[in-house]
Amino acid sequence: MATVAVPPNKASSRRKGPWRHPWGLEAFTWIYLIWSIVPIGIAVLFSFNRGKSQSAFQGLSLRWYTGTSQAFGSVMHDPILHSAVVQTLKLGFFVTLITIPLGVGFAIGIDRWRGRTSNGLNLVMIFSFVVPELLLAVALMFVFLQLLKFVHLGTDAETAALIVWNISWPAIIVRARLVTIGKVYEEAAADLGASRFSAMWRVLLPLLIPAIFASAVLTFASVVDDFVLVEQLSGPGSQTMSVLIYSQAHGGNNGPALNALATLMLVFSLVVAGLGYVAYRFMTRGERGSTTEALTSIAGI
Amino acid sequence: MPAGRSRATTTSSTSAGGHVEIVELTKSFGETLAVDGISISIEAGEFFSLLGPSGCGKTTTLRMVAGFEEPTSGAILLDGKDVARLAPNKRNVNTVFQSYALFPFLNVADNVAFGLKYQSLGRSEVSQRVGEALDLVQLAGYERRRPGQLSGGQQQRVALARALVLKPAVLLLDEPLGALDAKLRRALQVELKALQERVGVTFLYVTHDQEEALTMSDRLAVMSTGHIAQLGTPREVYEEPADAYVADFLGVSNLMEATVIRSGTDSSPCQLQIGEFHLEAECGVLSATGAVKLAIRPERVQLKPYDEPGQNRVPGMVERVVFLGSASQVIVRLAPGETLQSLVHNDGELVAFQQGSAVNVLLPPDALRVLPGGGASVAEIREETYGDQPDLAAVASPGAP
Repeated sequence: MATVAVPPNKASSRRKGPWRHPWGLEAFTWIYLIWSIVPIGIAVLFSFNRGKSQSAFQGLSLRWYTGTSQAFGSVMHDPILHSAVVQTLKLGFFVTLITIPLGVGFAIGIDRWRGRTSNGLNLVMIFSFVVPELLLAVALMFVFLQLLKFVHLGTDAETAALIVWNISWPAIIVRARLVTIGKVYEEAAADLGASRFSAMWRVLLPLLIPAIFASAVLTFASVVDDFVLVEQLSGPGSQTMSVLIYSQAHGGNNGPALNALATLMLVFSLVVAGLGYVAYRFMTRGERGSTTEALTSIAGI
Repeated sequence: MPAGRSRATTTSSTSAGGHVEIVELTKSFGETLAVDGISISIEAGEFFSLLGPSGCGKTTTLRMVAGFEEPTSGAILLDGKDVARLAPNKRNVNTVFQSYALFPFLNVADNVAFGLKYQSLGRSEVSQRVGEALDLVQLAGYERRRPGQLSGGQQQRVALARALVLKPAVLLLDEPLGALDAKLRRALQVELKALQERVGVTFLYVTHDQEEALTMSDRLAVMSTGHIAQLGTPREVYEEPADAYVADFLGVSNLMEATVIRSGTDSSPCQLQIGEFHLEAECGVLSATGAVKLAIRPERVQLKPYDEPGQNRVPGMVERVVFLGSASQVIVRLAPGETLQSLVHNDGELVAFQQGSAVNVLLPPDALRVLPGGGASVAEIREETYGDQPDLAAVASPGAP
């Protein structure tokens, strides 16, 4: 048997022409990542500072999270910081709870019951991507102050505004899933004897669960992050973490306690997004191409 | 009477009825007429196929019988009762979808039991019926699997079980074998036909595969651009195609343009001219006049030595010899310019005709069929269809893959 001498495969760095490694691109990517992540890392690091300085690191400690000193408030024991955390979580929870059913209904309505109105409503769906947030905030403030006076500035107004702002998440993500799964499952259900409502309950909803979950995650993360609407519509005692960080960083000086607060915000967002990704993967297991779909759904593309 | 129908009446598991009468059924999507006033009568227990290229309206017809599309006009009588405007869940028909549409979040048993929830049955009866249905499609033991863990052929069987467990009067099948590979498809054709004979349910089967339709059906309708080109038993449709379209679609690819010199009668053959050559034909529409199409099946075309004269012969030249295993396909260009295929049986000897050799092509009168009107060929109709309306079935159900 004749053997043909095959030249050994050289290491990738030795490849020539279009197959050579794109060193320039890789370097640029790393520089960009470091440039954007390092400041966040430093801010997080200083939340664990033993001292009060935000520029000189004096050893590790959890005092800004759990410390009980009266002079230097920690997130857990300073009433203002503590209430900001609670307020943020409260808004996140209630806004998500109300937004998701509304948005899912919105998406199903637009996609499944086609009519003249649904085309117009399609535009409304991308409303929050088009309108500047500050404009919406100011407009809503006037609405709540002049017209709908029963909506008081503070938690009520914040909740209402955040629902309007975030309803696009479930509407767009759930609708994307509706388009992907098509009508054939509903037709199959109807064919097997299901009424329209029963087909929705027994077939459509289970198929939509991953998308509903993904949009809940994004809505929650987006509420935790929100500053413009909440700042504009906040009332006494309804400051969220973002508003507090903004005002304290400018005026007073709470030291690394603010870093601790910001770190918590970051952790909430990351944990929720991570949970969302894992759960989405779990719920769509066995479906083809679910990895990419999970990533894009969670990223909200 | 086809065997399927006679056996149906003796099977105990058969639900009563299953007679479908489609009357002047029409469906238009905007400007496009997808189904153009078709009428079909399907007997209870019959295996009936709608055959045609994509865009011919066969899937739209099936979807109207299922209740997914509302007819523009016409009636669908199921055992005498017009169901054309009833919701799908109010009709005693069930569908096997091309993509199977098994619910991915339910296991096999729950998929099959899905429709039984709407019939007030006890839990033990539900599980008994599910077991029977899975036995019927030879999937016992797969109850706890998810659809994603099954092969295409197995998913297909689950879809069948899910529909048959409800004991429908009519089972609608929308290209159910379309997604499977050729070998599995052939095996399932036989199995599906046997299953239909066993349960005795009326099958309305949609396909674009002529082999599938011919093998399984008791009767079939060949459809073209929204109307029925021919309706009959597989043998009738294959051996006596009504026009050039049907002949072409069923794989009788030898079609020639010819001119009638003298029309024939029942007792005298039709005299035709093809180029400068004179032919006699004894089949088809012998009373036709003017320009017609002549059809002959490849296995009936005989090749004779060039210097052997005789009746009904046209000289030609061998263009290509293709070895097919059990036979050789010889492609001959006739002197008037037409190309013919001839199927020469492989009986151990070499085909005597080489590429480029001159031959005399014998077209026996009893194999030559006169088809009226030089009708458009399938290729031409397909082109028209794809031109302005890619696929009506796809338009009707944008989600279907």
